[in-house]
Amino acid sequence: MKCDKFIEALGTRVKILEVTRQCDDQVTALVELNDLPEAVRFLYYDMGGYLTTMVPNDERSINKHYALYYALSMEGGKMFAGDEIAQDEKCFVTIKTLISPDSLVFPSVTPLVPACVWYEREAYDMFGLVAEGLPDKRRLVLSDDWPDNLFPLRKDAMDYRYRPDMKDHYMEPEYEFLRPEGSGIIDVPLGPLHITADEPGHFRLFCDGDTIIDADYRLFYQHRGMEKLAENRMNYDQMGYLAERVCGICGYAHAIACIEAAEKAINLEIPARAQAIRVICSEIERLHSHLLNIGLACEVTGNYNAFMHIFRIREYSMKLAELVTGGRKTYGNVVMGGLRRDITGVEIKESLRILQIIETQVDEVWDAVMDDKRQMSRWKGVGILDKQVARDFSPVGPNIRGSGIKRDTRYDHPYDFFKQIQFDVAVVEGGDVFAREMVRYMELKSSVSIIRQCFELMPQTAIIVDPTFHVKPENYALAYVEAPRGDNVHWIMQGSAQKVFRWRCRAATYNNWPSLRFQFRGNNLADAALIVCSLDPCYSCTERVTVVDIKSKKSKILTNADLKNFARTQKDSPLKDLR
Amino acid sequence: MMKLLDISKKYGEITHKYPFEPYKVSDNFRGKPAYIFDLCIGCAACGIACPSNAITVQFNDDKSKLIWEFDCGRCIFCGRCDEVCPTGAIKLSEEFELAVKFDKSALIQRGELDTQYCTTCHKPFSAKRLVKYSFECLSKANVSEKRLEEAKNYLCMCPTCKKTATVATFTGGKEMVIE
Repeated sequence: MKCDKFIEALGTRVKILEVTRQCDDQVTALVELNDLPEAVRFLYYDMGGYLTTMVPNDERSINKHYALYYALSMEGGKMFAGDEIAQDEKCFVTIKTLISPDSLVFPSVTPLVPACVWYEREAYDMFGLVAEGLPDKRRLVLSDDWPDNLFPLRKDAMDYRYRPDMKDHYMEPEYEFLRPEGSGIIDVPLGPLHITADEPGHFRLFCDGDTIIDADYRLFYQHRGMEKLAENRMNYDQMGYLAERVCGICGYAHAIACIEAAEKAINLEIPARAQAIRVICSEIERLHSHLLNIGLACEVTGNYNAFMHIFRIREYSMKLAELVTGGRKTYGNVVMGGLRRDITGVEIKESLRILQIIETQVDEVWDAVMDDKRQMSRWKGVGILDKQVARDFSPVGPNIRGSGIKRDTRYDHPYDFFKQIQFDVAVVEGGDVFAREMVRYMELKSSVSIIRQCFELMPQTAIIVDPTFHVKPENYALAYVEAPRGDNVHWIMQGSAQKVFRWRCRAATYNNWPSLRFQFRGNNLADAALIVCSLDPCYSCTERVTVVDIKSKKSKILTNADLKNFARTQKDSPLKDLR
Repeated sequence: MMKLLDISKKYGEITHKYPFEPYKVSDNFRGKPAYIFDLCIGCAACGIACPSNAITVQFNDDKSKLIWEFDCGRCIFCGRCDEVCPTGAIKLSEEFELAVKFDKSALIQRGELDTQYCTTCHKPFSAKRLVKYSFECLSKANVSEKRLEEAKNYLCMCPTCKKTATVATFTGGKEMVIE
């Protein structure tokens, strides 16, 4: 069966205590605590895995231990042509390890696999699990004045409604930014509230003149405690709606991922028509999200004309969503077992008309933007994400596809209706802002084609199966949906009484933040907002549950001349341009 | 650059005159749930289905009225209430202008239904309309006159008294003929 190959190979490296299978393509291997870093490194680098998510879990009520689950997507390193695992062997392998509540310490994987850094910092914030050897032990998710010995996600820690008293601002501990050493470096703070940022996030840019040498950031200003809320008082009917509200843009992808995780854990197959409609709605979401981001990438460089045009087209995609779901944004559609709302023939006909409009008008505006040399000079060569950095940090979505790595969940691990659909994965080499926007443009085209194929292929079946199902406590599964920004991964362990035991929701941007620092380096200050924008970041999504480069302390300070060569020169003073 | 201006010329003005002209939403739009008091029977199905607890159905302090209350500020427009309502008293409307000025109580909608008291213990237990509705359903269900009369009795009893009465009948040693 799938995955066996990887487990076998892993067995030659470390001692595997137990192997459990969750579903066809998901396997968990329990390893000893001290073997953890080697096991994850082996699967990540030697076998071609990418880190999908890491879930700390309080399992004291089950086996008297805390558990860590490192979920890796086995798909090949994809660094060069042919460096990819065969399509029918791609799967998810989870490394599980148990931590005794007496020690609360585990060996950090981050020195071997940098992608784990945010996850391990979060494990301390939420569970008090200390990663021994983690170079960066600052708080990530919770605010700096959060009580020291309160770990919210421990089952016995606190009521979900409890809010600790805030400290007065002068009593609040200072957050330490990782700043490079050297003279003449100026700190430029950006945020938490800043006019170019749509949501709160504090960026500390370290500059020499106009050139960014390094950057550090503090996010999670609006952590909402959704996981705790769901564990305490939600049932599966309500969770879909809560998951949808994780994000204001890719909410539907979260809803599907959340519900599918629950469905997978009990092996519930939903009707083909429901699968098709789930794909249609998530692709509509991709249309409006990509149009939003391309529009904003024009806007932050001052190209208001193009911005307005792209938003004019985006309005059609919002209309489309309203037409097929009844709501412009929050669709309230997904329930366990299928969907609540079908699409009628009249709606399909009208949708196809709108799709045609979107397709032709996007081409028109994109051609005009491509012709604009000033716009191109602002996009090209800016914010480069190096291919090797991408490999180390497991970013997702257009961010990694812009660096020439063919990672797309819809292609690697086809879910739902994607098994029947033909589409090309948009991959562009270069890694700059331009490459990422190009990926988005190509995906707009493929989304239109995917929606059309779904309308054509979707069978006339029911849209929901009999919702009588029995969840099995302690079952868990991973569900993944390619949202506009990358894959949203939800991990659900079921509890008793139709409730969740642990819900780990990992939004796409969570994996994209850690490598942002590398994208900043060497760029002009004027491009900072553009680089953040090209990530299409979703602050508050990441903020239900943050990454910093650990190696930076050792990193050398580049000379002014080196940087000047690297960065593009701009005529106007960038400080004037820093909007 | 000039190309973009050409596109502007081609499509002209595309903005709506809203709010000076009404804005038409698509059919089956999920707007504010509209409540028709006359149809409401106080069965509380909507209150149970509502995932965000926007709808609550409970007695007032002296239990003389059953209060159906909807807080639009909590509503997520999912339409579960619309789905479960047996009488169509609550339907998602096309209304989307929901902002209120300063006064949050303007978001709340209430319906007061008369309480049904138990014929045996005289405690309040349901809404009069629900009892009436149940009876109407039964009378359409092709049951015999005698059974209907019996049902009428039972309908006006609170669950506890109903249990006691049933147990009393079964254990009383009276012979019954099921018609």
